[in-house]
Amino acid sequence: MSDGESWARFELLAMPHLDAAYNLALWLTRNDHDAQDVVQDAMVRAMRYIGGLRSEGARAWLLQIVRHTCYSWLKENRPAEKVLLDDPDDAWRDLPAPSADEPPAIAMRKADRQQINEAIAALPIGYREVLILRELEDLSYNDIARIAEIPVGTVMSRLARARGLLRTALAPTARPVLRPVPRSSQGGAS
Amino acid sequence: MKQSQEAWKIEAFVDGELDLASQLEIEDRLPGDPALRRQVDEIRSLREQVREHAERHVAPAALRARIAGRLQGAQAVPAAPAQATVPRRASAPARPPATGSGAAEAIQRWLGWRPLATSLGFAAVLAVAVNLAWLQSSRDERLTDAVVASHVRSTLGQHLVDVASSDHHTVKPYLSSKLDFSPPVDALQVPGSVFVGGRVDYLDGRPVAALVYRQGEHVVNSFVWPGPAAESQPRFAVERGYQTAHWTAGGMNHWVISDVNREEFQRIVKAVQANDAVR
Repeated sequence: MSDGESWARFELLAMPHLDAAYNLALWLTRNDHDAQDVVQDAMVRAMRYIGGLRSEGARAWLLQIVRHTCYSWLKENRPAEKVLLDDPDDAWRDLPAPSADEPPAIAMRKADRQQINEAIAALPIGYREVLILRELEDLSYNDIARIAEIPVGTVMSRLARARGLLRTALAPTARPVLRPVPRSSQGGAS
Repeated sequence: MKQSQEAWKIEAFVDGELDLASQLEIEDRLPGDPALRRQVDEIRSLREQVREHAERHVAPAALRARIAGRLQGAQAVPAAPAQATVPRRASAPARPPATGSGAAEAIQRWLGWRPLATSLGFAAVLAVAVNLAWLQSSRDERLTDAVVASHVRSTLGQHLVDVASSDHHTVKPYLSSKLDFSPPVDALQVPGSVFVGGRVDYLDGRPVAALVYRQGEHVVNSFVWPGPAAESQPRFAVERGYQTAHWTAGGMNHWVISDVNREEFQRIVKAVQANDAVR
């Protein structure tokens, strides 16, 4: 394949997934500047292998390269962020059960945007990535397994664990929620 | 362990990722099992929360441009060494007429050119092969490729619209003046839809109108050009991760493409159709 063709292919197959690539990189590095560096490196790498890519599964293919580049980058630049994931799979089920009088669905609805984003950012990276790939990229378990280089069973356990941790972090008891003063009462006072 | 696997199974059920038999089995259990029902509701609620609120970051335009520039620029580099193998002597000025050395030089020159000649020959063969493949792919496929490429190009560069206006009284005359037809131009009756403007694009061997909308962070391109009188229902497809739909109505070909999700895309297509019907 000539270089012109490579770029044409790349533009058609890989570039459409740049947002997904950047989103994953940003959620993994949690820093815009680092995410941009990682994505740029990843795209350069991806260009080298574009010849072997079939049109289906381009997004998973690209995200696998992005994730790989992210991990190499983190290992080199933030060795302190060593990922520990081998906690027992059952541990998360010991979370306190939601209280009977407040259905969890309603309690959850009160969590706001910022709180949710912070809670996801605080998840250990291995849980964070499966959650992002599933909920924001809407990828299948199989695709996630391929991208994160883990068995499908591990995708399931990590996703369950990620959601369990998130649920605890967002539970009303976990953190006092500041409720805004209703606008009408403010208006009345002034 | 048993218990946790059961828990994953419920998560997978909510995600629709179980095999059909297991999926149906849990579905059957739901009505008679309030605890299970609550668990499923809980997972669903969290899922919706995350999907609604978690930020899906969009790549900055500068990053996009940098990558495009770097990768596009990269292709010019490897071509240079091939050129360098051409002996400069070919263009050297008058040399003493010596028949013996002249023949040797001719051979040498030929040898010097050979890599280039071979690669040119190879390129020609490749070009023929590519052209044959191109001819074989159906017109529809080519059009799909062209629509995707045009959409991608419009989101990549600065050239999203020729005329940036949410006012159809501005956009319509502009497009009509540049085209040999007058496209339907209207905002979409879809919550969150913003009419960005229009541009003239080139598809199916002719200039076409492209109307551009934004749906949140997503760009929607709606292409229109004169087509057959026969009406057809929208045909939906997913091409390289993009939602596409095309149909014919009111003597116009319509192609709509975006990276919004399927439900939203269907709403958008309905709205485009509705605008066409009103006209």
